[in-house]
Amino acid sequence: MKIRTINYLIKEGAVNFFRNKLMTVASLSVVTAALAVFGVFFLLSLNAGYNLNILREQPEINVFCFPEIDDAQVDQVEEIIKNHPKVASYTKISKEEAFDKAINEILEGNKELLEGFDASIMPVTFVVKLKHPSYSVEVSNEFSGIPNVEKVESPQKVMDLISKLVYWIPFVSFLLLVILFVVCVLIISNTIKLTVFARRRDINIMKYIGATDWFIRWPFIFEGVIIGIVSAILAFGLTSYGYHVLESRINHDLENIGIDLIYLLKVGDVWVRIALTYAIIGVTVGILGSVTSIRKYLKV
Amino acid sequence: MVELKNIVKRYENGTVALRDISLRICKGEFVFIVGPSGSGKSTLVKLLLKEVEPTEGEVIVNGFNVTQMRPKDIPKLRRSLGVVFQDFRLLPNKTVYENVAFALQVTEAVPKEIRRQVPMALALVGLSKKANVYPGQLSGGEQQRVALARAMVNSPLLIVADEPTGNLDPDTSWEIMKLLNEINQRGTTVIVATHEKQIVNAMKKRVIALDRGVLIRDQERGIYESEDKNDKLFD
Ligand SMILES: Nc1ncnc2c1ncn2[C@@H]1O[C@H](COP(=O)(O)OP(=O)(O)OP(=O)(O)O)[C@@H](O)[C@H]1O
Ligand SMILES: [Mg+2]
Repeated sequence: MKIRTINYLIKEGAVNFFRNKLMTVASLSVVTAALAVFGVFFLLSLNAGYNLNILREQPEINVFCFPEIDDAQVDQVEEIIKNHPKVASYTKISKEEAFDKAINEILEGNKELLEGFDASIMPVTFVVKLKHPSYSVEVSNEFSGIPNVEKVESPQKVMDLISKLVYWIPFVSFLLLVILFVVCVLIISNTIKLTVFARRRDINIMKYIGATDWFIRWPFIFEGVIIGIVSAILAFGLTSYGYHVLESRINHDLENIGIDLIYLLKVGDVWVRIALTYAIIGVTVGILGSVTSIRKYLKV
Repeated sequence: MVELKNIVKRYENGTVALRDISLRICKGEFVFIVGPSGSGKSTLVKLLLKEVEPTEGEVIVNGFNVTQMRPKDIPKLRRSLGVVFQDFRLLPNKTVYENVAFALQVTEAVPKEIRRQVPMALALVGLSKKANVYPGQLSGGEQQRVALARAMVNSPLLIVADEPTGNLDPDTSWEIMKLLNEINQRGTTVIVATHEKQIVNAMKKRVIALDRGVLIRDQERGIYESEDKNDKLFD
């Protein structure tokens, strides 16, 4: 195809896009909404995946001894941890360190609240780093069974939750993507069908003067692609602004209540992926929507 | 140039529109196809454009074997001929100039060629002054002249017209027929399906007469009705 022909075909497509205002606006809003809904799920799965990876990189478990045991009993516990084959390293937090930490970090320096108490109420704690995060469950269970150990904490519960999200969100997103994709294709197809219908006489004439099917088809495909791209741009503006507002608030709140284990990605980290996804989906639904709607009137 | 070999056309609903038609039209001829309503004239024209397929037989147009042609080659066939219809079939959103130029645009002709050919075609049909007017602002006769200009702008070997004067008054009809004759004089083969008794009689061209799908007469310098007084098929 020659350049001037391509120019002509794109121009025709743009003319159709503007000629048919009501349907264009209708399909733009539906496709934009569909893309935005999909975007929400896409962002959720990006964040879940990101946070799970961060948690995976911190395969730590905390082993708390009973506060009332003596040093010899603590040494016995330490001996078992030290010799365990799946432990990479560990640090021992003494009663005094735990007491200071409690005063400084939890009570924010308000010593008065612990008047009359001393370090003996605090347990000795071992912070254990494992050789691999997957040992977490197994080793936690094993250590719970050591005599004189009160409890074992691992980020397993949070990890389990996020793992579930990481498993389910992409699944739901994909299902949603398929449904919304079909909806978008149908909507665009309907819009293009209307244009095609309005121009069926023109199409007929073009066939009589020897226009090829592709010559006739391209302007309609461009019209579909323009709808797809404009919707993608609108949806991108909506979601990235909405996400930016939400992200800064939620991260702020998380920080305030002291949760530093979970953190939402910044718009800057995700915008390329969102924009690309929207663009690809927009163009694809545009092409599919238009190609499927022209066939009928080409048979002359 | 145009050859029909033992053509039978039976539509899906069972109507037989053409029965065993064979004919040959040579380069440079001017041929009228006449016959009462429903005799199969339009069906014959549609066969030439590959708008309908014959049930039996073979159609050859401008060297293309129309019957064996693949659908994707249809544009090549249609670019090699010009078509004119009763209802003009101009694009309402394009000017006269653009309508004529469009026939060249679909063939991806170079702009220089378009700028040269379109004014020539418009001049031939006498519409140079109306180049920038839209079809809706033209009379029926003028619209049909635009359609003629479009049909001949890419210098086709053949022009096929199905009742080109069907919507026009007698004087305008004459103008259109004279134009077709002029185009024919320049070497283009012309086939016209028509009901214009007086014009056919006056022009003394080859006449092919159909009746109920049968070719009943093929006459050089013929007239609309048969000279055989027993033949009461036309009144
Ligand atoms: N698409 C179709 N399906 C079924 N039958 C058809 C179709 N087109 C035409 N016919 C029938 O075929 C026969 C020939 O029709 P055609 O249009 O060729 O006649 P015509 O000579 O052009 O008539 P007119 O002078 O009225 O234009 C008629 O009986 C008509 O009803
Ligand atoms: Mg007819």
